[in-house]
Amino acid sequence: MKYFLYSGCSLESSASNYMISVESTAKALGMEFKEIEDWNCCGASIAYIGSNHLAQVVLNARNLALAEAQGGYDIVAPCSSCYIVQNQVNRELKEDPDLMEQVNEILKEGNLSYKGTVRVRHILDVLYYDIGVEEIKKKVKKPLKGIKVGGYVGCQTVRPYGEYDSVERPVVMDRILEAIGATPVDFSHKIKCCGSGIFLTELEYGYELIGAILESATKKGAQVMTTACPLCQLNLEAYQPRANKALGRNYNIPVTFITQLLAVAFGLDPNKDAALDRNLISTDAVLKSAA
Amino acid sequence: MAATSKSKYDPSFAREVFAKVDAGEEIKKCMQCGVCAASCPLADKMEFSPRKIFTMIRAGERDKVLSSKDIMLCTSCYTCIVRCPRKVPVMEVMHGLAHYALRNGFVPREDTAKFGKAFWDCIFNTGRVDEGVAARNYYLSSGFVAGAKKGIEMKDIALGMLKHKRMNVMGVIPGMQGKKIKDIASLQKMLKKAEAMEKGGQTK
Repeated sequence: MKYFLYSGCSLESSASNYMISVESTAKALGMEFKEIEDWNCCGASIAYIGSNHLAQVVLNARNLALAEAQGGYDIVAPCSSCYIVQNQVNRELKEDPDLMEQVNEILKEGNLSYKGTVRVRHILDVLYYDIGVEEIKKKVKKPLKGIKVGGYVGCQTVRPYGEYDSVERPVVMDRILEAIGATPVDFSHKIKCCGSGIFLTELEYGYELIGAILESATKKGAQVMTTACPLCQLNLEAYQPRANKALGRNYNIPVTFITQLLAVAFGLDPNKDAALDRNLISTDAVLKSAA
Repeated sequence: MAATSKSKYDPSFAREVFAKVDAGEEIKKCMQCGVCAASCPLADKMEFSPRKIFTMIRAGERDKVLSSKDIMLCTSCYTCIVRCPRKVPVMEVMHGLAHYALRNGFVPREDTAKFGKAFWDCIFNTGRVDEGVAARNYYLSSGFVAGAKKGIEMKDIALGMLKHKRMNVMGVIPGMQGKKIKDIASLQKMLKKAEAMEKGGQTK
């Protein structure tokens, strides 16, 4: 199966471990990824400060138009922010012919046009619905037996439409974790916000948010967290020592991307393919039975 | 009530919001149930919850709304959007209000405004965002000394990321920016055109 991988800006730097493990996992599952030639940033959820709504729509319409012209495959976004923003713009354009016309007028500046034929999907959606848990199970060589994982879905990953999973009680991530032999724990803060970009401006608020998530998951026995969003992963992992200090806790819980766990379970190289050496909090102790 | 008494209900600001703020007309659907306030992860940090902001708009409290720190504390988690029983895209109204406030000379949150600008400048100048560059430019937007101080304060994060190959080195070198997309020229034309059109781009 052929897809456009819309890596987005985070996977080019802070989530390089996500990028490496997405590519190795996809390869193992027989997915073929193409890059959208000359793609641009989606603007994330902070673009509203620098631009109006129409500019944000145009920013994403350019990517959609490029994808349509370059083959029209489904766009797969591993980043939840890329997913939610692009998908929302895509839906707005498809549902509002006036907006589509206005945007196409602007796209002419780059000799582009968009008809509305492309789909935008999150990588969890593709893993679960296109590949499926049965196929994933077949690839497992080193099941994560006995490892309790806090499947932290976060907020934007399944929103706003709930196209592939519930916006309040998502299950897809846990089903994938079960397929690789892990034991997902059920915890109350599964879809609570990690604070997103707030760590750059209101640090103290961010510590409280991630502290509550880690508390909720560890109370249910989670030994390792997993996410499918660069900012969720970054905030929970990189700011964990600071949150400990601020809140008087002593968490030292590894935070992985779900594709890193898949790569480990598939028996791929823990560093070359799963990029575990790029995690700030070592996964060695938790994953030693598998990796 | 005598027609000459000071009206308690001034619809002029509400009309301004409907006409000029992105998603502003959506607040007409709000029935003041407060589900947004109960769902917001940062509601306990706010003086005015989204529900209160909507009421203040209807009451004509222009300055109070546009200068409120609370219209700019959104993490964009979409919880208010998915839970609103009247399908008000609360988050989008907040984004629209914040953008409108900034365009009209209000600065509800200075740091967030600076970070947002640094982020958007990366997009406009190169087409993509190098996270390190965006963070560095945000820190330096308060001046070199203040920026350097902030950078040193956060060095544990930056060094950890650099060491684990999760940050591009240009992020720590002042003046350097990320690689440009090929057709940055036409992207800039498109964005300028969009900025000049539609609601949120009209003011100033």
